[in-house]
Amino acid sequence: MLFALDFFARRLAQGLVLVVLVTMLIFTLLRVVPGDPVRMMLGPMASVSVAEQTAKDMGLRDPIPVQFGRYVAQILTGDFGSSFVRSAQGGSTGGSRGGSTFDAANRASVLGLITTSLPFSLLLAGLAFLFALAIALPIGIAAGLRSGRWPDRLALHLASVLVSLPNVWLALVLIFLVSAKAGWLPAIGYQGPSYAILPAIVLAIELAPTLIRSVSVSVSGNLVEPYVSQGEIRGLSRSRMIVAHVLRNSSIPVLNVLGIQAIGVLLGGLFVVEYVFNYPGVGLLMINAVFQRDFPVIQAIAILACATLVMLNILVDFAAMAIDRRLQY
Amino acid sequence: MQAWRTTEFRIGFALFCLLIILSVLGPYILNLSPTQFNVSKKFLPPALLDHSSWPYLFGTDQLGRDLFTRSLIGLRNALLIGITSVAGMFILGSAIGMISGYFGGWAGLLLMRITDAQMSIPAIILAITVLGVSRPTPLAIILVLILAGWPAYSRVARSVTLSEHRKEYVRAIKILGASDARVLLVHIAPNILPPIAFVAILDIARMMIFEAVLGFIGIGIQPPTPTFGTIIADGTKYILNAWWITTVPGLLLAITLCCINIMGGALERSRNKILLGFE
Repeated sequence: MLFALDFFARRLAQGLVLVVLVTMLIFTLLRVVPGDPVRMMLGPMASVSVAEQTAKDMGLRDPIPVQFGRYVAQILTGDFGSSFVRSAQGGSTGGSRGGSTFDAANRASVLGLITTSLPFSLLLAGLAFLFALAIALPIGIAAGLRSGRWPDRLALHLASVLVSLPNVWLALVLIFLVSAKAGWLPAIGYQGPSYAILPAIVLAIELAPTLIRSVSVSVSGNLVEPYVSQGEIRGLSRSRMIVAHVLRNSSIPVLNVLGIQAIGVLLGGLFVVEYVFNYPGVGLLMINAVFQRDFPVIQAIAILACATLVMLNILVDFAAMAIDRRLQY
Repeated sequence: MQAWRTTEFRIGFALFCLLIILSVLGPYILNLSPTQFNVSKKFLPPALLDHSSWPYLFGTDQLGRDLFTRSLIGLRNALLIGITSVAGMFILGSAIGMISGYFGGWAGLLLMRITDAQMSIPAIILAITVLGVSRPTPLAIILVLILAGWPAYSRVARSVTLSEHRKEYVRAIKILGASDARVLLVHIAPNILPPIAFVAILDIARMMIFEAVLGFIGIGIQPPTPTFGTIIADGTKYILNAWWITTVPGLLLAITLCCINIMGGALERSRNKILLGFE
């Protein structure tokens, strides 16, 4: 028990430092890179003096450390700020629609925007994960068990091929074939859970190669361990050996890979896939925010993504240590 | 170098060389301009399916430009960006890893913490943030890709440096008077190559996909320079009528990546075999 507390305390502290560093990085990047958000908000017709005044009021002309301090203080009270561009009713404002649509007092809160779109993304990610496991586990285990012969070769080549498919292209081809031509599954937007299936398939295909490779490697690595043959000598049938022991032991490296690489791939792929399918999740929110120079949203989502990755790393390490006592030291 | 003997590697390599040659020379041979409009000839289907559209081997896009040439030039750009960015990542990552491992102390620790921090930013977020709010030039794209990918190399470089550092021959060279720089560059650096050669090759593939994705979203190389991402994005509007605009460049990219991945996979397997002691 004490060990767990110590572990968590240490890792959480490190994680916090990491998240703060990343936030600082993105914050500075956004303000240093050319492209003025106020222009975006007020539209091209507003005069320069009005633009400057608005910028000063919003605190965008202060030195960056000052702005960052203010932002951190804001976050600590739970307020992630209001979107620059989106109004509370849900539409975007400003930009080419002209400055009169910009209603400074009525902007959507970033937290609200995120909490609305997060469930969709979670649904997509969960579904993608399930599909990826469904594809990768059978192939990977079969490949590991008969390493060197045809399942292994097949798995490796399949993994190579799957990795080489560009996900946007695959998404478009699938949309074309499955939705437009055959009409089996809906493609764009969201009107019910079935809209998540096609994007989840694309994401799963992107995830599968890493999973296949790691599962097959760890299963085949475990098969040559002494305990397998010892168990068989002692009378355990081979199938019981495999199911009860080998699979359990080989799941540790898989967990590691799952936590770190797969989630990274998933996060990255999520943004793009949501953009292609116009699926209203966090990814689409982020990409639109970047195009509209919506700083609070970008920062908030970046913090969210990093914090998620860090938390998952911690959890994965903890789970690995819990399963295999040897790793505690 | 054992990978040469595997047939798979040879096939992959041969195809890859063929594609490179094609991408460099193709447009000159075919003599069709990738950016010249010819609106009367728009939307011709691929010549493979409909013989009336020769010499447009793979058809034309919505402005009458030959798709094959555009794809080849897109391939050229993609390869350029992929290879330069991986080279940059390799050099930067290895340099940081080697310095961190060699000099140790809290500077090394700090560098490692920075590496870890870098790994927790999903690459796409960084890329979108930097490129989305400023005008993307090829150099900026390469820089962003390098920033996104160097941590992997620095970890490996650091562990290799740490293990080699202790070995006898390093001490011997130092007694003979070699400066630190010489030890690092001439002796330790070549040892980094085997473990990550195949990672570098696989990363070329990954970076090419990344560049295509960036182009698709609109923050890659800007039109009218053809890149895979822009062609595919343009083709989305016409997918019901002219499906080849979207499919052909993607297919070409997929085949190229397949070759690269087969090569990388063969390298990885031969490395594993060497490590495990087989012949």
